[in-house]
Amino acid sequence: MTFDRDPFVLLTGLRDWLLVFGGFVGIIFAATILVALGIYGTSGPVAVMGRVWQGLHDFTHLSPRRIWAISRLTILEAWRRKALWVFAVFAFLMMFAGWFLDSELRADMQLKNAVSFALTTVLWLTIPVLLLLSCWGIPEDIRVRSLHTVVTKPVRRNEIVMGRILGFSTVSAMIVAIMGVVGYVWVLRQVPEDDHPRLSRWNRMCLAVGLLPNATIEPDLEKGLPEIDVTAKKFCRMPVYGTLEFVDREGTIASKGLNTGDIWEFRSYIEGGTKSAARYKFAVNEPVDQVKLESRFEAFRTHKGRIGQSLLVRYVLVNPKKSLRVPLPSFEIKEFSFNEQFIKREVSYYDEDLKDTRTVDLFKDLVYFDDNEKIKHDVLQVEVQCLDSGQYLGMSRPDFFIRLPDRSFLVGYFKAVLGIWLLTVFIVSIGVTASTFVKGPVATLLTFSVLLVGQGFREFMIKLITGEQKGGGPVESWYRLVTHMNDTLALPDTVSVQIMQGIDKVLLSGLWLTQHLIPDLSSFLMSPYVANGFDVPWGVALFRSLAMTIGYLIPCLLVGYYSLTLRELEAK
Amino acid sequence: MIEQLTLQQRKLAYLIGIVLLMLPVILFGMPATGEEGSGGKLARLRQDYDLGESTLGKVDPTSATMNLVLLGMRGVAVNLLRMQLDEERDQKQWAQMRATTESVILLQPHYIQVWRYLGWNLAYNVSAEWDAVEDRYFWVKEGTKFLMQGSERNNRDPEVYWDTGNTLGKKIGRSDEWKHFRKFFKVDPDKERYKEGPDSEINPTGNDNYLVAKEWFEKANKADELRAQHIMMDVLFRSYPARSQLDYADALHREGQFDEIARKAWDGAYHDWVEVFGQMRFQTGDCEIFLEAPASETAMEQLLSASGVTRPKLERELDLYQNVCNYRYWRTKAHSEKNANTAAVHRDLYQGEQLFKVNELEAAQELLESGLRGYKVLLDSYQDLTVDDAAIEEGLWAIMIWQKIYQLRNQVQPPEEEIPLRSLWDKEINRVPALQEDFNRKYGPT
Amino acid sequence: MENQPVIQIKNLTKIYRDFWGRKKVRALNSLSLDVKKGEVFGLLGPNGSGKTTTMKLLLGLLFPTEGEITILGKPASDVSKNEWIGYLPEESYLYRFLNAEETLDFYGRLFDMSPQQRKERSDQLIELVGLQNARKRQLKEYSKGMTRRIGLAQALINNPDLILLDEPTSGLDPLGSRDMKDLIVKLKNEGKTVVMCSHLLADVQDVCDRIAILYAGELKELGRVEDLLKEQNETELLTSKLSPAAIADVEAALAKHSAKLIRHGHPTNSLEDLFLKTVQKSQERPGQRYVPTASEKS
Repeated sequence: MTFDRDPFVLLTGLRDWLLVFGGFVGIIFAATILVALGIYGTSGPVAVMGRVWQGLHDFTHLSPRRIWAISRLTILEAWRRKALWVFAVFAFLMMFAGWFLDSELRADMQLKNAVSFALTTVLWLTIPVLLLLSCWGIPEDIRVRSLHTVVTKPVRRNEIVMGRILGFSTVSAMIVAIMGVVGYVWVLRQVPEDDHPRLSRWNRMCLAVGLLPNATIEPDLEKGLPEIDVTAKKFCRMPVYGTLEFVDREGTIASKGLNTGDIWEFRSYIEGGTKSAARYKFAVNEPVDQVKLESRFEAFRTHKGRIGQSLLVRYVLVNPKKSLRVPLPSFEIKEFSFNEQFIKREVSYYDEDLKDTRTVDLFKDLVYFDDNEKIKHDVLQVEVQCLDSGQYLGMSRPDFFIRLPDRSFLVGYFKAVLGIWLLTVFIVSIGVTASTFVKGPVATLLTFSVLLVGQGFREFMIKLITGEQKGGGPVESWYRLVTHMNDTLALPDTVSVQIMQGIDKVLLSGLWLTQHLIPDLSSFLMSPYVANGFDVPWGVALFRSLAMTIGYLIPCLLVGYYSLTLRELEAK
Repeated sequence: MIEQLTLQQRKLAYLIGIVLLMLPVILFGMPATGEEGSGGKLARLRQDYDLGESTLGKVDPTSATMNLVLLGMRGVAVNLLRMQLDEERDQKQWAQMRATTESVILLQPHYIQVWRYLGWNLAYNVSAEWDAVEDRYFWVKEGTKFLMQGSERNNRDPEVYWDTGNTLGKKIGRSDEWKHFRKFFKVDPDKERYKEGPDSEINPTGNDNYLVAKEWFEKANKADELRAQHIMMDVLFRSYPARSQLDYADALHREGQFDEIARKAWDGAYHDWVEVFGQMRFQTGDCEIFLEAPASETAMEQLLSASGVTRPKLERELDLYQNVCNYRYWRTKAHSEKNANTAAVHRDLYQGEQLFKVNELEAAQELLESGLRGYKVLLDSYQDLTVDDAAIEEGLWAIMIWQKIYQLRNQVQPPEEEIPLRSLWDKEINRVPALQEDFNRKYGPT
Repeated sequence: MENQPVIQIKNLTKIYRDFWGRKKVRALNSLSLDVKKGEVFGLLGPNGSGKTTTMKLLLGLLFPTEGEITILGKPASDVSKNEWIGYLPEESYLYRFLNAEETLDFYGRLFDMSPQQRKERSDQLIELVGLQNARKRQLKEYSKGMTRRIGLAQALINNPDLILLDEPTSGLDPLGSRDMKDLIVKLKNEGKTVVMCSHLLADVQDVCDRIAILYAGELKELGRVEDLLKEQNETELLTSKLSPAAIADVEAALAKHSAKLIRHGHPTNSLEDLFLKTVQKSQERPGQRYVPTASEKS
């Protein structure tokens, strides 16, 4: 999991959304007009326009009281139908979860597990309940015909859809809020704050996954970094990521470093003892007294080197405009854990040319305006070098960041809870909409598929579409399966193969559409941020999720409205 | 009749009926508590015919439940987990990978190869991904612990015991980081957690890694008696406890320890090799043999009369088996090293080099010369050593240091005839260039 | 506006289709009729004759295959007409987890009524239908009769001008039935228009001003109840008790006008006869349809 994703930009998002939404509406509208014209002659398009007009009218004459009446009914229904028994399950899980969470682990790992467990439990208890409620609400109403009594009142069909969505969302808000609070208290009790940080090897070991180190000791730049101590202190770090470019051994700039044979191309490597370096540029706004740098690099050795000593790394602060290069003291890296460095406002260093110690001001002398098209901002440039020759140091963009003052754990935790709620709202929207045109089981299946595809199969789908996944499309892979043909063997260039691949292309473009229509739901899941001690970023996660929810809610309302309006509720 | 009963009475009747029906189920199916003859009839039958899980090793209730819950889907689930394992390895999520390993094993607690592979994976592959030696050691420990757990769950299989021993011995004692690892084995780098002592899970007594490995090899041999192993020739497999003792003694020398402890280690090694391993009976195709037999004529006679093969045939078999495990060499080596004089020779050569390193040239030269003289005596009395790479190289190496000191002190090349242990030098002259290269890399060109 | 019919149905046809769009059932065939303001109109017919289909078409729950419906001057598909309509479904389709008060409050909200209005109106209606003692009980605990009553109450929550009642007395005991019929008469007296459908002839005969008899989706009879029950070829005389001599005299008198006394006794012709006769006739000669004349329509 990387915590560094491109932030959500409202304008581009809105533009894309309008394009897709407008496109679909346009196509459907045109198609409907044409079909109506074909079947009913000139009166057809008139009727269609009438429907559109009525739709516009219905959407502009909503009655909040009616919507709320439906919502209230929905909430009461959930309550009286004992849907909230889910709390009992939750309470049960929370009561006994402590038994299964390893208390042998060091404190921060326990915290990570506890946070993950609490949030995952909230998520996976809420989702099925809401999924079922929202997918069965309207179909059940139609089946027992209680909807008849409702629609013979002056209720607009969109008010029904909106009321349902609002109602289920409120139910889920209540469930999520209560569970969230209980989970929070549980986490606090499960992992009490430890005032005596333990420094241990075991602690460092488990940092492989992510961690919550908390440096309480002011590091001494002369001596390098202190041991990381790991406590159960709960906080959320606020990283500021920079841009990354590499410098190869000849000193030319490259977008990527070397690959040391790693399958995972997340990190790129620089060669030690050469000009090779990684350049990070962090956007800086106001001068502060001290900058905290945090990094997690990876070592790759081509020879044994000095056994018992980690690779030496050095940061060099660079201001190309003043041709200033300020090397900071080197330090041994700690792999799979965070290395912390503080840079004071006044930076002293030994100048090789002057043969003397110089002191520069971090902001006046080192921060400069970067003219790069993509940056155009005041930046602090930090060059990362590996000092051991023949050894390699791997990094990716999110591996190195400026750490701003930490946010409180409470805020981060509840941001993640909010994310869960937004996901349930999304599911409710889809579920309610689906239930307006299909029956309960089908709607459930449909919504569940959206959830599954949006969360689990996304990467696989992208691989299929881009052709990264070997073996071709569905027909080709079937052919290969049946004929036991290896996916590395090329197919003969015959007509039948071309036909086969043609069909695959069509099928894959269907997949392409699906992949673009079904959102990436992983941005709703913010618990990894909190569990790993990061704040949930507003732009990257929360705002994106919010926009996504609304972006899907609007078409859902439209679809729901028209399918309820154009449907004979009696017909089964 | 039934209709006349009240509701209460009827319920009671049902309850009694249920209990009555349960009774045979309990009698037959009661699980064994572990004691001999405990449990219901079925449990006892299972025990008698070696069918139950409990006979395979310790039963983990979670694992049993998981397999029950998954019904027939275990294979699918394991496949998914293995894919996840690969992904986590690729993305270097080691802690998650450790957890996934645990899940795989929950589902396949009795697949020996799974234990062996995953244990190796942790101790060797994951360990190598980490940069700091302490980190690497941690993963070696993880792998070892994992294998120990595996042997506990499959206590009838000799293989996992052997793997545990092999990791404890070879990985800790022979990898690049062996100097650190062997120290860590006695004083864990996580000093706070283990209170400046060893990780009691893998080394409860604070012993040498080779000696702990030996215990595991012995367990493996014991298990092998009941159920044969399938990883190597019997004669090799059975030699491991003794080999471990040899490695232990050798490691002490490698670390420059030439005291009584080291000598006793060799003494023990000789005992283990000759008295224990050498006396083990092996079934060859035609006859039963033991490797120490050629040393005694009566033993040979007995073997001949017991098997009925001809003497040349028996000798051929013995020779073959001895060669497989390098029996004669180790016998000679141990015999020579348990001698106090031999230890003195090694000590002189070792300390000579140490003094050379700190530029105490005169003292170094003195020690080396005395050492080399002793070495000649040693080689003369143990002919087998003259064909051993390590023994030859130890001698040649000492000569090279001596030459270097000679040069440094006299600023000239020493004349050929003055080289101590000249006979070895002349005999092995074609080994010299390669070794000289190593030497130059370490101490600068001659 | 005043004289305009509350409901106008023109050539209404409804064909149910199956999943594949194939015609399955012709539930209603070219039905035309008007309902005038302030009358109680009865739709009569055996099960499956198209009564409920007509009702649902009126409400916009179903869409006509052909034909037009104007209800309160608006098309049936217009939701806003519902402001003035009250509908009692065949089996009160209500939310069983709500109690009486909540039910009425919920439907009141759907009419955008203020909290105070809702409170007043539901108290009034609960009293009207006699559910004072059960107002806090969830509907799932209600008997069939009580469910009908709360159903009626919700239909009246908005004080509608047009009330559509689908089998209003079904499930009610004779007393409840009587109450219901009294209520219908009361509503009529308040100037409301009531359309009810029923297969219980007694109900219709008692309260309806006009009826339409449907059979197999076709209109077979339409008119004022008393007109329909009048035999056109017979004249009924109602006298005080006659002696046999008097009867003989009457017979003689009739003979003079080349008529004859068919039978004497109490008048027995009833809606039931008419209904059975209509049904029988339709079965003998299917396809014959009653087409109202222009004068009859208005």
